[in-house]
Amino acid sequence: MNARLARLIAAASVLLWAQFAAAQADWGLHELMRELAQTRRSEARFVERKYLSVLDAPLELTGRVLYVAPDRFEKRTLTPKPETLIVDGESLTLHEAGRARPRRLRLQDHPVLWGFVESIRATLAGDLAALERFYAVGLDGTRRDWELALAPRVQAMRAVVRLIRIGGSDSKVRWIEVTEAQGDRSVMQVFEDRQ
Amino acid sequence: MTASGRAAVALWLAFVAVCVFFVSRAEYSADLSAFLPSSPTAAQQVLVDQLRDGAVARIVLIGIEGADEPALAAVSGRLLENLRRNPGFAQVQNGSLDLLAAEAEFLIRHRYLLSPAVTAERFTVEGLRLALERQLDRLASPLSLLTTRMLQRDPTGELFEIIDAFGEHAGPDRRHGVWFGRDGQRALLFAQTGAPGFDIDAQASSLDVIQAEFERARDVPGAQSTRLLLAGPGVFAVQTRAAIKRDALRVSTIAAVLIGLLLLIALRSPRVLGLTLLPVATGAAAGVAAVSLVFGSVHGVTLGFGATLLGEAIDYAIYFFTAGGRDLALGRGPHGLWPTLRLGMFTSLAGFAALLLSGFPGLAQIGLFSACGLAVALLVTRWVLPQLSPAGYEARIDASFGRALDRVLVHAPRWRLAAHALLALSAGWLIGGGVPWSDELSTLSPVPPAHQRLDQEIREDLGAPDVRHMIVASGNSRQRALERAEEVARRLSPLVDGGIVSGFDSPAIYLPSEVTQRARLNALPGQAQLRSNLAKALAGLPYRSGTFEPFLLEVPAHKRAPLMSRQDFEGDFLAIKFDSLMIEHEGRWQALLPLRGVQDVVAIERALADAVPEVMLLDLKAEADSLYREYRRQVLAYSLLGACAIATLLVAALRSLRRAWDVLAPLAAAVLASCALLVLFGQQLTIFHLVAMLLVVGVGSNYTLFFDRALQTGESPQRTAVSLLLCTVSTVIGFGTIGFAQTPVLSAIGTTVAIGALLSLVFGALLASGRKLDHGAADRADAR
Repeated sequence: MNARLARLIAAASVLLWAQFAAAQADWGLHELMRELAQTRRSEARFVERKYLSVLDAPLELTGRVLYVAPDRFEKRTLTPKPETLIVDGESLTLHEAGRARPRRLRLQDHPVLWGFVESIRATLAGDLAALERFYAVGLDGTRRDWELALAPRVQAMRAVVRLIRIGGSDSKVRWIEVTEAQGDRSVMQVFEDRQ
Repeated sequence: MTASGRAAVALWLAFVAVCVFFVSRAEYSADLSAFLPSSPTAAQQVLVDQLRDGAVARIVLIGIEGADEPALAAVSGRLLENLRRNPGFAQVQNGSLDLLAAEAEFLIRHRYLLSPAVTAERFTVEGLRLALERQLDRLASPLSLLTTRMLQRDPTGELFEIIDAFGEHAGPDRRHGVWFGRDGQRALLFAQTGAPGFDIDAQASSLDVIQAEFERARDVPGAQSTRLLLAGPGVFAVQTRAAIKRDALRVSTIAAVLIGLLLLIALRSPRVLGLTLLPVATGAAAGVAAVSLVFGSVHGVTLGFGATLLGEAIDYAIYFFTAGGRDLALGRGPHGLWPTLRLGMFTSLAGFAALLLSGFPGLAQIGLFSACGLAVALLVTRWVLPQLSPAGYEARIDASFGRALDRVLVHAPRWRLAAHALLALSAGWLIGGGVPWSDELSTLSPVPPAHQRLDQEIREDLGAPDVRHMIVASGNSRQRALERAEEVARRLSPLVDGGIVSGFDSPAIYLPSEVTQRARLNALPGQAQLRSNLAKALAGLPYRSGTFEPFLLEVPAHKRAPLMSRQDFEGDFLAIKFDSLMIEHEGRWQALLPLRGVQDVVAIERALADAVPEVMLLDLKAEADSLYREYRRQVLAYSLLGACAIATLLVAALRSLRRAWDVLAPLAAAVLASCALLVLFGQQLTIFHLVAMLLVVGVGSNYTLFFDRALQTGESPQRTAVSLLLCTVSTVIGFGTIGFAQTPVLSAIGTTVAIGALLSLVFGALLASGRKLDHGAADRADAR
């Protein structure tokens, strides 16, 4: 190998590295979180499919989700059965059809549920600290097409959830996939309303 | 010393020895229930039992504060571990979620016994079909993550039914996995001692253990600044006893030193000073011995009150030494000292005898203590002091002091107008404004208000609700009481649906009666039946085949399992819950069903109408208030009775209405004016103030009797005034010091008696000097 070629390769690799570094500096987990945190309010339609070992066929749910910064999240299921889940601050309220009084829980009393709620709420809020409290957070992809992988840190939660993956582009969440410990899985697709 | 004198001293020594024996064996108690009626109504009995024996009485509320949240949570966790290893505690909880998980496992294991929804219909084809459809909805729910795991074992959803039945307990907040107060400043735990709440020694050692384990638990970096706060009935009992002990010791030391100095100056002889204490000490010992013999134990309040006896009993010795010394003769001559002292003592006795007759063990103790103490003190003054006092001793009263006093007394009549005006004002004010009686049972509590506040705070933090309405279902066994509680629940459930009651708790929710448990197990089908019903019910539903095998295996196993008993949840949170709702008293079992959100008491009474008397509805606040009002009414009645007895006694003994009036009027005036003064200083009057008024009459009657005696004998007014002044000053010092005690009872009595005694002297002197002038005028008229 002659010296010119060696210089060329060196220059090219420096250039490539610089480009890569620039891309990293430009966009990463912190940057993604910062962008997600810009959204004060978002509303969307969803379709969720649950693949459960106890059922022969997947269960399909549709409805709407709403997020209002910093800590309110609503999931209104419309089919097959109306049901509304509201998380506001530390409280979780579940309105079920055919039940006069809603169920109310404090998230702090149910750490597994709390962790599950934060996978979505803290992502929408761009709150990395809250996410990392419950999960080891991994990021893959590009700004246009990113994918977060959330692996539960605590044993109590790992007994229920194996992995949560959240995909999106720019500051929009597009889909959420939850894989449970026993292998049951649910995939929720989110179609954001035009602002 | 004469033979009879020696006999008196020997008898006295023997008596003291016997008293000391009983005093040393006496047991001391501090529970509030001693000041509750001994023959209460059934409703009041529930209240009293709860205060005394119930599981609630064994609870220690623990707060930890003084560091950041993670440090507090860590100390809470370590303290929990340390205390759980100690066999002295039946329970220790800090809200830790690991414990909650263990609890859930218990519920799953006993789900077919605990679920109120278990009926035969639930396991038919239709019932199972309905349940399976409902489970499909649950699978769609956002919470399915947590519920799916139970589906295969529990498709009929019994665990949900149990959780619904247990209700949404409004427990304390959790931070960092453990209970915290609302503002996050205080980590909370609660412990239940194995020893009963009224065993104060055991409670005290439990508290020492908690303190020691806390010291170990906080001995890590970052936690050293933490402080421990304790509250609860047992803590109260221990603190009260300690406070009374401390108060009694401190107060009596200060009072003794001050009175000792005063007497030393007046009597000028250390030996005589020592002798003045003999009647008091013997009287106090006799009082404690008598109370412990009659009542079995001595209440701390009685003891504290006993210290106040000092004030009256020491007067006897002072009269003895100042009003003439030994030779002036107790009992010799028509106008000797003895008849006056004896009459004074009987007057006090009449007052305290009224307390003896009242139906309240605590007050009766005070009555017995005071009556015995005073009688013995006077007997010792009469028979023992003359034998022991130095021959020829006579207190030399400083002549100039006496003259100065005399000059004041000569001018006293000028003040009579002012005194009358003051009295009229007091009476008008008390009648016009009404007496501000304190209307809460808690004012009887010997617990200082600061401790009561802390207890209230921690209780609120722990979310222990203030229950007002409660149904009590009783029976002669635990099972009967539980069956009745279940009957009550059946009658209440339409009211809950109708919104008349928002909810209720019952011990039968946590441990159903055996009848109910057996009925639930009988409702479970056999394996073959269940398998065939389930197969039919599954037709057309999207469940994968074989999903419910665990259910098919577990139900027959549950059907064969033994029934649940109280032992099954020993050491569990449910045990505390159950025990706090169940009371055993002399073979009667009572199940307590606290009601929440009562809208219509009459509707509840109607629903329970034909179940009375085994079932009754209590309004706890109304009961407690009426208990207190009834209590006060009775004490007032007994006090008036005592006053009548005193008046009758005086009229009979003095054989003159006029003289009896002269003795009584200043006392009545003193009581009236001191009431007005207390009210003026913003005091709310309690029963203890009333009792203190009896003491004022007791102490004051000695003063007025001496004024009367002086008038009758024409004895040196200086001598009477000086010895009375000495008595009053020592009384005011004694009771005034007690007025600064922290224990509410003691300070109430101390303040009242100090003011009352002083006023008795002032009014007595005013009246006596007025009479003297009248006498003088009459004499001059006769001479003319």
